[in-house]
Amino acid sequence: MTSLIDTTIYSAITEAIRVEAARILSEGEVTAVVGYAAARRKGSAQPIVINTAADAGQLIFTPSCVNNLAVYLTKAKKEISKTGKIGIVVKGCDLKALVGLMGESQLKREDMYLIGVPCIGVLASTVQPATGLTAETIAPKCTECDAHLPQGCDFVPAQTPVVTKLEHKYAAEIARLEALTPAERWAYWKEQFTKCIKCYACRQVCPFCFCEQCLCDRNKPQMVDTTPRPAGNAAWHIVRAMHLAGRCAGCAECERVCPMDIPLNLLNRKMAMELKELYDYEAGFDVLDKGPLTMFTDKDDQSFIK
Amino acid sequence: MHPEKQKHTFEPKIIAFVCTWCTYAGADLAGTSRMQYPSNVRVLKFPCTGRIDPVFILKAFQQGADGVLVSGCHPGDCHYIAGNFHARRRFAVFRKLLEFVGVDLNRLQFSWVSAAEGGKWVEVVTDLTEKVRSMGPMTEFKELALEEQWSGTIDTPELQEAYNAI
Repeated sequence: MTSLIDTTIYSAITEAIRVEAARILSEGEVTAVVGYAAARRKGSAQPIVINTAADAGQLIFTPSCVNNLAVYLTKAKKEISKTGKIGIVVKGCDLKALVGLMGESQLKREDMYLIGVPCIGVLASTVQPATGLTAETIAPKCTECDAHLPQGCDFVPAQTPVVTKLEHKYAAEIARLEALTPAERWAYWKEQFTKCIKCYACRQVCPFCFCEQCLCDRNKPQMVDTTPRPAGNAAWHIVRAMHLAGRCAGCAECERVCPMDIPLNLLNRKMAMELKELYDYEAGFDVLDKGPLTMFTDKDDQSFIK
Repeated sequence: MHPEKQKHTFEPKIIAFVCTWCTYAGADLAGTSRMQYPSNVRVLKFPCTGRIDPVFILKAFQQGADGVLVSGCHPGDCHYIAGNFHARRRFAVFRKLLEFVGVDLNRLQFSWVSAAEGGKWVEVVTDLTEKVRSMGPMTEFKELALEEQWSGTIDTPELQEAYNAI
């Protein structure tokens, strides 16, 4: 049993979020606030949308507030202008997703009131939501997080996150896989992809999977086999990783929701590492007009081209 | 008139995705100049390398290609000004992804062949064909396609118990 990571500031953050949500709702600055509320099991949390200042007391922030709430704004993006400004509680990683969506013209900054959360980390799994945050139970994404304090929000509680230095779980796993031979890597991924049941939870939860018709659902021409068989599964996950390359904000929701425990974020992290190396691009807090794969320079690496 | 054709035990299937303005014209030039190159290559013509989606490459491998060639205009020569610049970035990233998943990158070749480079087309195609021939057939994706249904294993006591109860 490793020592608990200190998350005592979360109670003060909860208080600050409640006060701020009540204020913006009662002053009419926003029409709704998307946040987290306690769920039925002890210690668990679930997303909630509140419309009145009276409900602000339900909002919480705890280590089990794992969801990336940005996904609610992508799915609802068409209605935002009608309903008015929406408040949203965001961790650093969630804010990166919102920034990415703003860069892709899916959302407008002026339609959102951002309540940033100084975040130390959240749980990897909410199967036992009441467990404390330790080096074992913390989400792997939080071990390599560089966005504990969201930037550019409308409101951020004054607490400063004190961050424990942890082993970078994804970097370690990617290094392990890269050291293998191609055949061994293929065997690894074949085993992982074969588990897939094509539930598309990874697609539904991803803030960036907002295409109205997914390429993988089309059948004329059918580019990706839709049945949950190994060939279609591998193709789906490769296409998914490719479509997220240069866009993924690293919230790791795909990996969290996967019922078959496929390490999906490994592919996303690997792509992020390559984009950093090739084009010096990293998901961040600045809204960019163009992503790394929608722009170019005439000096891009072409050593692989004959 | 033609040199004696060498007999091989394995003839690889090579799929070439080419842009219509440069490489297709280059291949045409090779043909009209009566240059010899392996007939293993199947040429698919696209408006531009920017039109070539990575998923086409994936599909080609799944459908039985042993090697894939993607070829278009040299940087700066694109008929659509910037199509090949975009393609360059996209493929640079895509090949890294394939490498990470465990595909041997020797089976995937990118090249710039202009309309005047019939000789370079012959060279690129010949090199890739010989390289893939020496590597043997691409079996990974074909084996996946042949695998039946979900092949999860009963690897926990609970699953085994549930299975026995059926």
